[in-house]
Amino acid sequence: MSTPAVQHTLVDSRGSSCPGPITDLSMAYRRSKVGDVIELWATDPGVTSDARAWSDRTGNPILSLEESDGKIVVVIEIQRR
Amino acid sequence: MAVTTAPEVEGGPIRQAAGKLSIVMFSGTADKFIPLGILAQAGAAMEMEVHVFVTGFALQAFTKEPGELPFPAEFAALAPAVAQGMAAAHVESWDTMLRQAKELGAKVHACSTMSAVMGLTPGDFSDLVDDVVGAATFLQVADGGETFFI
Repeated sequence: MSTPAVQHTLVDSRGSSCPGPITDLSMAYRRSKVGDVIELWATDPGVTSDARAWSDRTGNPILSLEESDGKIVVVIEIQRR
Repeated sequence: MAVTTAPEVEGGPIRQAAGKLSIVMFSGTADKFIPLGILAQAGAAMEMEVHVFVTGFALQAFTKEPGELPFPAEFAALAPAVAQGMAAAHVESWDTMLRQAKELGAKVHACSTMSAVMGLTPGDFSDLVDDVVGAATFLQVADGGETFFI
């Protein structure tokens, strides 16, 4: 039995307001498996704290969180399902 | 903390919900439906089990003939600016947000007593409503989680 390959999923929520981006993240999370990586793009400034809150609540760590020119990029590793 | 399962979405495996949020939706004015939509959707997106108990003046908005939600008189002057701002910020309508929450597992319960008061039968409610229950049932499902009253 082979292990399915780790997936890197890009979720583009730019232009969407709270709670849109975190909802898009949740939808991607439900389609993911342990080991996958989800990369969330957003422009709503609330995403910086919301992504940390989502990460804390679900137990999936943030690998990186960067903001430049109003674009926020959060990379999350799925460790718990 | 009570732990229950949320339904599958697009073939994903059933996972455990992280906490629980229950909202008593009592008010019947348009402004109050904005936090309902946002909190229900945010809670569901935070992987929480979400329950909305619809009662009081909110019930009419969940029927098949909801009519227009009134804006409260004291904020009526702000209504156009709020509508414009919500469109500019791409904030969805309350029912779109609630549907999104339901897609993520949220449940909407209509109050049986208020239904009787308003002369509404289960068949009068829109597809937003999952069931018609009494207050005791709602308290039972809300037990052990956070409960907000709007």
